[in-house]
Amino acid sequence: MPKLLSRVLWGVIAITGALCLGGIATYRGESINSIWLILAAVCVYLIAFRFYAHFIAAKVMLLDNLRATPAERLRDGHDYEPTNKWIVFGHHFAAIAGPGPLVGPTLAAQFGYLPGTLWIILGCVLGGAVQDFVILFCSMRRNGKSVGQMAREEIGKVGGFVALITVLMIMIILLAVTGLVVVNALKGSPWGTFTIAATMPIAVLMGLYLRFWRPGKVLEVSAIGFVLILLSIFGGEWVSKSESLAPMFTYSGIAIAVMLIVFGFTASALPVWLLLAPRDYLSTFVKLGVVLMLALGILAVRPELQLPAFSRFADGTGPIFAGKIFPFCFITIACGAISGFHSLISSGTTPKLIAREWHAWPVGYGSMLLEGFVAIMAMIAACALQPGVYFAVNSPAGIVGATPAAATATISAWGYAVTPDQMSALAAEVGEQTLFSRTGGAPSLALGMAHIFAKFGGEKILGFWYHFAIMFEALFILTVIDAGTRVGRFMLQDLLGHIYKPLGRTGWMPGVLLTSALVVCGWGYFLYNGVNDPLGGINSLWPLFGIANQLLAAIALCVATTILIKMHGAKFMWVTCLPLSWLIVVTFTAGWQKIFSDSPKIGFLAAADALARGAQTASTSTLIFNNRLDAAVCGTFLVLVAVILVDSIRVWIGLLDGSKPSVLSEAPFVLTQLKPEQV
Amino acid sequence: MRSFWKTIVAILRELADENAYARFLHAEGAVASKETWRRFSDHRLKAKYSRARCC
Repeated sequence: MPKLLSRVLWGVIAITGALCLGGIATYRGESINSIWLILAAVCVYLIAFRFYAHFIAAKVMLLDNLRATPAERLRDGHDYEPTNKWIVFGHHFAAIAGPGPLVGPTLAAQFGYLPGTLWIILGCVLGGAVQDFVILFCSMRRNGKSVGQMAREEIGKVGGFVALITVLMIMIILLAVTGLVVVNALKGSPWGTFTIAATMPIAVLMGLYLRFWRPGKVLEVSAIGFVLILLSIFGGEWVSKSESLAPMFTYSGIAIAVMLIVFGFTASALPVWLLLAPRDYLSTFVKLGVVLMLALGILAVRPELQLPAFSRFADGTGPIFAGKIFPFCFITIACGAISGFHSLISSGTTPKLIAREWHAWPVGYGSMLLEGFVAIMAMIAACALQPGVYFAVNSPAGIVGATPAAATATISAWGYAVTPDQMSALAAEVGEQTLFSRTGGAPSLALGMAHIFAKFGGEKILGFWYHFAIMFEALFILTVIDAGTRVGRFMLQDLLGHIYKPLGRTGWMPGVLLTSALVVCGWGYFLYNGVNDPLGGINSLWPLFGIANQLLAAIALCVATTILIKMHGAKFMWVTCLPLSWLIVVTFTAGWQKIFSDSPKIGFLAAADALARGAQTASTSTLIFNNRLDAAVCGTFLVLVAVILVDSIRVWIGLLDGSKPSVLSEAPFVLTQLKPEQV
Repeated sequence: MRSFWKTIVAILRELADENAYARFLHAEGAVASKETWRRFSDHRLKAKYSRARCC
């Protein structure tokens, strides 16, 4: 493209982005069209990709297409294989996109659309995408080593060990909180429960089909599985209307939590080809399809945002989770802006598939921008709901009241009008008995998505789209639970193997059962207590998960900063230190407030004290213990990351004053032999 | 447009592990069968599900 035309084009994108950002930041009218958010995000992401990420690639990482990547040098036809960059892009995006970028923005919408949107746009560009990109680069230059291995080699043994413990603890909280999202979506919902229950035999059928009848035909069996799942959604409607069948699929939150715990244990002990793998294939395709559908739907419908730029809960009195915008908006939206878990993917399969070093630019940075765009779409879907409906669905009964009349009166008194008739009509439209206090984000996101999709088929099929969205969310959350329990077991076996050797053997059945049970008991305990929590569980578990996930990102950024200092001294350390400093400030503030805040709605210890001062029952003492346990878990996260941070700073000072040798543990340069047509 | 669709299909095949299976068959000099698929998928899935998954 001629230079002048290119400059004009980028100038237009920059001006459009600035106008849209300025527009959404200053507009305070009744509603705003979602296209403003989309244009602001797209323009900022394009500019960040073209200029900031290019600068990091060219000047900071010194990417070199002549250097053979591990995919070429260690090519084995299994894990290491030079692959087309768009295929790696699709693979990497599918791996990083989970429930987080959908649920986080939905919950953070309680502050209004503006804080979360700005954080998704800026956090993604300056933090999340930088982390994913730099860690992918570091791993690629080290034969595809994991972030834990790099922490051990670049920072020291303490860093590596602490990283392992932190990941294990985060897994426990992640599995509990995602389990809670599913429980709150399915409790008292025969339609949803039937549909999700049907995914189990469908997945097993797919597994058997793939193993015995048509080996290797994954796309074929996934298409069959998808058709069966669509049929199960129609079947769910029929079941929900049947007087004899509906009670068989109607369960309380506790009952669904127990089923989920039993499922987690059983599924993690089954062979992966039977249930986990086929459902994982299916959930990956459904996830990508729904993301595409949502993008097209939002572009076609361009819904007006009904929630204001700032809601009255910017002051920290929110019903969904308590706490002010700073720091809680920034830990609630994790995966859509910056997620520590991405560093595990960027140092997992992806670096072993990159054919040319410059492919890391679209794969590492670009995939995260796309994930940020998914988060923007989730924010739009949530904010397109009427505010009264949004708060009625997401507010726990312990705050707004247990009856429809009490809940609508409380929410209307906040200035967000809603009536019991309106809520019961909406529940009837989507085939649910009630939509009150369905905390967790999934039901309100499903409602928002259903309203967008239903524009193309009329309100009559709102129920189908609502349950389609619930199925889509539950499908990949169940996969996360199944696979996460398995991974947690491996990590625990790795640790316990140091104490008693047979426990470290993944083929020793007593060890497998014991460690599986320990992991399931770990997340099951938090899930069970989350379901019993009068404030809905999300109030305590989601911030804990957000803090933990962001702290994992802090560990990854410590590793990345150490490597950048070894490469350039202090010159470019700001690239990773900027997001690292922000994360440390945000997460330590949030962690401190969650432990020590005087407000019982925010601080775990204050909540325990308030309960101790009230009337004592059997459940009160459990709640007191749980709050103190949550405080201890939060404190442990902070201590673990403080250890890594202090250890890293000690290493950085040594490297910068020359008392420590600056040794890069990169694989040596080998000239690539790949021809252009091979990549 | 044709190359766009080719890329989409290739991405789907990669996500479905079908490309990896084809590479495996090529590297081993084997033909597709129940036995080779089992050998491939057991190795592939073991590695895949021993890594942490994203949220």
